[in-house]
Amino acid sequence: MDPTKPISPRQETQAMHSIWAVATNTLKQALRMKIAAVFIILLIVLLPAMGLSMTGDGTLKGRLQTFVSYGLSLTSFLLCLLTIIVSIYSLTSDIKQKQIYTVITKPIRRFQLLLGKLLGVILLDAALLILFSAIIYAITIYTPKYLGADGAELTRVDNEFFTARTGLTPPEADVRREVLDTYNNLEKTGQLDQIFRDVSHKKIIADLTKRKQLEKRAAAVGQNLLWEFNNVNLSDPNQSLFIRFKYDVSVNPPDLHVYGRWVVGDYRQIRYGARIQTPFHTFDRKDLIRTFHEIEVPADAVAADGYLAVEFINVPLNNTVVIFPLADGLEVLYKADTFGANFLRAVILIMLRLIFLACLGILTSTFLSFPVAILLCLVIFSTAIVSGFVIESFEYISAELSGVYYYAVKPIIQLLPRFDRLNPSKFLVPARLLSWSLLARVAAIMICIKASLLLLLALLIFSYREIARIVV
Amino acid sequence: MARNSATKKLITDYYQIRNTNHETRNMEYAIETFSLTKIFSDWWGRDKVYAVNDLNLQIRYNEVFGLLGPNGSGKTTTLKMLLGLLYPTKGKTIVLGGDGADPKINARIGFLPEESYLYRYLNARETLDFYGRLFGLPAKVRKMRIEALLDMVGLKAVASRPVGTFSKGMARRIGLAQALINDPDLLILDEPTTGLDPIGTRQIKDLILNLAKRGKTVLLCSHLLADVEDVCDRIAILYGGKIQSEGKVKDLLQQTGKRQITTDAISDTAVEKIKQIVRNEQADCVVTSPMDKLETFFIKTVAAAQQQAQPTSGAISTTQIGGFLAPDTPVENILDKLVSPMESLRTAPVLQEPSEPPKTEQVGPVETSQTEPDERATGVLRKLTEPAKPSQPKPVVRDEKVETKPVEHKAAQQEQTKKSIIDQLTGRSSPQNEDRDLGPDQTDKSQTGDSGDA
Repeated sequence: MDPTKPISPRQETQAMHSIWAVATNTLKQALRMKIAAVFIILLIVLLPAMGLSMTGDGTLKGRLQTFVSYGLSLTSFLLCLLTIIVSIYSLTSDIKQKQIYTVITKPIRRFQLLLGKLLGVILLDAALLILFSAIIYAITIYTPKYLGADGAELTRVDNEFFTARTGLTPPEADVRREVLDTYNNLEKTGQLDQIFRDVSHKKIIADLTKRKQLEKRAAAVGQNLLWEFNNVNLSDPNQSLFIRFKYDVSVNPPDLHVYGRWVVGDYRQIRYGARIQTPFHTFDRKDLIRTFHEIEVPADAVAADGYLAVEFINVPLNNTVVIFPLADGLEVLYKADTFGANFLRAVILIMLRLIFLACLGILTSTFLSFPVAILLCLVIFSTAIVSGFVIESFEYISAELSGVYYYAVKPIIQLLPRFDRLNPSKFLVPARLLSWSLLARVAAIMICIKASLLLLLALLIFSYREIARIVV
Repeated sequence: MARNSATKKLITDYYQIRNTNHETRNMEYAIETFSLTKIFSDWWGRDKVYAVNDLNLQIRYNEVFGLLGPNGSGKTTTLKMLLGLLYPTKGKTIVLGGDGADPKINARIGFLPEESYLYRYLNARETLDFYGRLFGLPAKVRKMRIEALLDMVGLKAVASRPVGTFSKGMARRIGLAQALINDPDLLILDEPTTGLDPIGTRQIKDLILNLAKRGKTVLLCSHLLADVEDVCDRIAILYGGKIQSEGKVKDLLQQTGKRQITTDAISDTAVEKIKQIVRNEQADCVVTSPMDKLETFFIKTVAAAQQQAQPTSGAISTTQIGGFLAPDTPVENILDKLVSPMESLRTAPVLQEPSEPPKTEQVGPVETSQTEPDERATGVLRKLTEPAKPSQPKPVVRDEKVETKPVEHKAAQQEQTKKSIIDQLTGRSSPQNEDRDLGPDQTDKSQTGDSGDA
């Protein structure tokens, strides 16, 4: 009775009870109003059908990659839609159909009502996500057995798909000095205006930097390229390393193939003339240009301190300069975790996305009616899916409206989650490690900062608005 | 704006004075409003409608208060402001000594909105369970109360049907049940009888009277004047967001210029004698036989059908009151109180706990559903067979006597004479018509309202 009385533990459990009561009610609403049923049936039918029909490039690996990629993307997309619809419907229908009158006049605080709704949506998401990812996982695991794949193909799939590999890319070469020299040189000789007509200083520097960096990754005939890695931490000494690379050329060879000699090992032994302790592995290969290839290297090539050098020699059989593209031209891959654990993290990544959308839905439903809130959320969702593209295009046109862009548009775009960059297929298809630390970083930014902000705003709006007032 | 802040200051000053005797204030009124004003403005923020205008309302503890008025007179808006669903433009409300939006206060309030807004996908039992959980009632108490309430509103047979399939009256009954699940100290009912059959209406009226007997406060908002007249101690009539008239039903309706005598069937000679006496007083006298109220007749007919056990898919109406709400059964046992977070029940300022030793709630609903109906049934029977007695379930003096009491003027008729067709539209006209048909000469009024000896 006394308002000054501190909150007793019983009142705290009472608060939890209220939240839980609202959460279970929201769950029942979603399930019994057949909103969820549509999505559940769709997925239950589509997922196995996809498992049977998708063949990818014809190989077992291709088939698995296609299924996991499309299966997870479809699940994620449909659950995102479901989350948006349920989280918005739950509160707006309560307000519109006025059930909220009898709920909010019970001993429940408004924030508890909102948290209850959010919890209900998250529980629904979690349950459905667990169900569908289990289906996808089971189909993926049993596909090789079902198809009766042969030994070689199984080994390949085990090495290149049912694994979680971490990748080391060579750091970008520091070319600032050379760029500056070139720039000054061009300016002195007066060629600057001839080559770059009507181009800003910033752009010239960027252009020159890119050229210089490409030069560092290009090997003329007879030349070699050397990359050194320092943190190759193999968990299992019996496993293999993979060098994943892609050739680009200045002149297309007649058969579009490039010959190359690869030497992998501890290069310091040669440089300093030390006694040979770890072996060198040499590979002579002929590979198609502009596609990814992988060289399997025994783990003993790595020195005890995690050092590894990779050398490419452009053999004179070629008649062209060989270039390794900047972003993904060369990588060293090795197994860091199991496929199962990686799959689990990919699913959690989807869950984070759903939680964010649930908070967004709850926020919009506190001040908008159902159709308007749905529209707004879908716009934000679809923008987030292509956020990379949006940011790039804004960067491109920002030259003219830089002031507006930097102070108005950019902060808003920064608030968007980067769904495209955090696509789980991007990790599972190339069997790349999705590390816990990356996941934690995503959770911190997407949930702890962005979603919490949305929720806080929702609580503020909902705590101060008039419930009985109809909003449009 | 200046006027606004001036009012605010006035109110603050007022509080400072009132707060000096905080306790007495708490004891005095269950609901109090101070210059309560609600203006609905249009999209541009311009004042559009004064829904409630400078309303000062005082409702004492243990009072059945009726808020009357035509549609759009601000009744529901006032209720919504009391409960924090709307914010006052000006002024302030105090409910049970606090803020009506405070969960601690909410725990002691039962609210039935103007329509039963229910979750269509829940069944009746789940609906009540959901609301019970919002009150933090322990599972055992919750279960018992739900069964007792389902029994009371006659929906036990359809308790597992989704409420979306319920008729309006059945939904209303569930709405009422949810308002009672916390055994509230203050019951706020907005048009509680809309959509209900006469038995349901009667049941609600009986319930209100019983709750009042147990020391509860009831705020009733209605335009069914007959209902209000039957149960309310005091009423206020709103029009245009302002109180037009306020006071005790008896005081407002009594015709001090007239007197009424009710007797058992007496001989014509006796009537003549009485007429002679009246004429000696230089007054006029009309003699008729009182008529049954249609409500009473209806209940009698349906009760007969129920006794023959004719099947129905609707609500099974009884006039019994749910176990824990019945006046002579204690609400909870001590154990229930200890486990229940609603300490408020004990600390209610004017809660008249029954004096009998507390029975356990475990036996409550079962026992009452067996013992209560007996008592209730006799009560109903008594009412059915003796239509000319007060509808309140109080002991009726059955001696052979000539009861002299003031004639009361029906509120409905006052309305009728004052206003025209609009009022017929605003109030549901059937009860009014019914009353007019029954006795335009006001000879049957002894059965309604407070009897003179109350």
